[in-house]
Amino acid sequence: MTAHIGTVARKEFEDAGRSKLLWALVGLLVGIVVVGYTAIWYTGEDASASEVLGFLGFPLQTIVPIAALIAGYMAVVGERRSGSIKLLLGLPPNRTDVVFGKLLGRLAVVGTAIGLAFLAALVLGAVYFGSVPFVDWLEFAAVTLLFGLAFAGLAVGSSAAVSTRGKSMALVVGVYVIFVVLWELVTAGPYYLVHDEGPPVEAQTWYLVLEQFNPMSAYTTMASNAIEGTVFPFTFQYGLEDFEAAGMTPAERYAGDAPFYLQDWFGVVVLLFWLVVPVAIGYYRFKKADL
Amino acid sequence: MTAIETRGLTKTYGDLVAVDDLELTVEEGEVFGFLGPNGAGKSTTINMLLDFTRPTAGSATVLGYDTQTEADAISPRVGVLPEGFDIYPRLSGRRHIEFAIETKDAADDPDAILERIGLSAADAARPAGGYSKGMRQRLATGMALVGDPDLLIMDEPSSGLDPHGIREMQDLVRSEAERGTTVFFSSHILEHVEAVCDRVGVLNEGELVAVDTIAGLRESIGGGATMELTIAEAADGLCHVADDVDGVTDVAVSGRTLECTVTDSAAKADVVIALDDAGATIEDVRIEDVSLESLFTTLTDGDTATDSGQDGDGTTPATARSEVAE
Repeated sequence: MTAHIGTVARKEFEDAGRSKLLWALVGLLVGIVVVGYTAIWYTGEDASASEVLGFLGFPLQTIVPIAALIAGYMAVVGERRSGSIKLLLGLPPNRTDVVFGKLLGRLAVVGTAIGLAFLAALVLGAVYFGSVPFVDWLEFAAVTLLFGLAFAGLAVGSSAAVSTRGKSMALVVGVYVIFVVLWELVTAGPYYLVHDEGPPVEAQTWYLVLEQFNPMSAYTTMASNAIEGTVFPFTFQYGLEDFEAAGMTPAERYAGDAPFYLQDWFGVVVLLFWLVVPVAIGYYRFKKADL
Repeated sequence: MTAIETRGLTKTYGDLVAVDDLELTVEEGEVFGFLGPNGAGKSTTINMLLDFTRPTAGSATVLGYDTQTEADAISPRVGVLPEGFDIYPRLSGRRHIEFAIETKDAADDPDAILERIGLSAADAARPAGGYSKGMRQRLATGMALVGDPDLLIMDEPSSGLDPHGIREMQDLVRSEAERGTTVFFSSHILEHVEAVCDRVGVLNEGELVAVDTIAGLRESIGGGATMELTIAEAADGLCHVADDVDGVTDVAVSGRTLECTVTDSAAKADVVIALDDAGATIEDVRIEDVSLESLFTTLTDGDTATDSGQDGDGTTPATARSEVAE
């Protein structure tokens, strides 16, 4: 019985549309675009609209995940704490409708914010730099959208999995810190302990597979392909791994032709993984929970 | 057909038994009051009926459907006013009603519902976050009424309402009952229940201590009354006179007042005659039926005196154990 997912999602989106949260996120993302474009235009750099688009990669990869996590981490647990979930579950929607309706609603919120930011980029690129790199723009926007949705899914999954907002916040902050700050320690660290040396550029396949499951690098790899120039991943480096390796994609580090699961496009699967798996875990736990 | 039936329904939280082997049957069409002090397990029971909480043991059916395996068949037929709920602060009252109509796929007119619960058009248009407790309660009641449910489950519907609001709530329960709706509602305040209920069940410490009509309950505790007689002179010496009358079980004296507990109605006149014969000048007689409140206290306080002490006082608005119900 999933007849009510759409109804819940619509209510959710409408509710969010009246919240300052959505507008703060939209303002933040659009603001970054406007400030960035204006600054580059003002300093008189001789850049094409396509190149300028690339400058967005770095700020977006830091702001989008945070914005999406904020938008989602309270989705289910917030209603659980306030008690409005009892009103909702007292109506025909069941727990499945609640989790997936909320997921869709929050994805729509994050998607709207990202969409508006890219719309601003398109318009400002045309106004300031006189061209519309439409294909680059579309691809970059799609990758960024998926990136944002992955984190929104992660957050909604977390909000469904736990019983207090504090736990949900700790969970999403913890995961974000692992992605950005601790990733190298978590992946290269054990490698170092086992092999007594850091992973080389041409590391074993299993290591490359593990390595690419960081959504940050999955995003930057695909974003770099979409635009002119390179978007470097915003992750802390500890020197356990070759610094040269840090800037390379798994496919580049693989000796010979990379298998499909190490190619750049596999980042789509990685981002979907971070969208789907936390939601599945959260859904499973929420189904069993005493409210 | 039964509206609600529980079989051995039990819920424990660690060592705490919130609901203990509950066997309860509510017939279709009746108004059933579910009574008990705060922390007695009323909300936990209702939460299990609504599948918000899963039983540790036992099972329950609502409208013939199992609460766990067939919950999706129950919710469209039931109107729920939960305990400890909240509204969506940013959405208007009207939008709440519309949402309930959408989910129940009902043909109700939002304005008609709003009028029934007494929310003005202006109030219904503004965000519900600014509503008072009573208005939130009305709004949630309105959402429960959408789709003309077969069964209304209301958990402490009178909380947050002023006396006028409580009367309106009682009127609403009566009018729903006249439409053939079964009403199951909980309260820790007996007078809110006695005016509208066909039957009541009294829950204490997770156990059902009585299920009966209000009249039946009254009878079971003696069907008696209290006579308060004011005498012109000191009443001390008259104590044994009143006590000797058949049907008087207890006499208390304070100053010029005699308070007699009478189990047999005919004994009231005998008391007056006996006192008159003894030369007493009776200035006033007041007769009170045993209040349900005291009946209630008798039923629920029976053996709790030695307990932890937190729940000894059933009239405290929020005891520590009401936390469990969430």
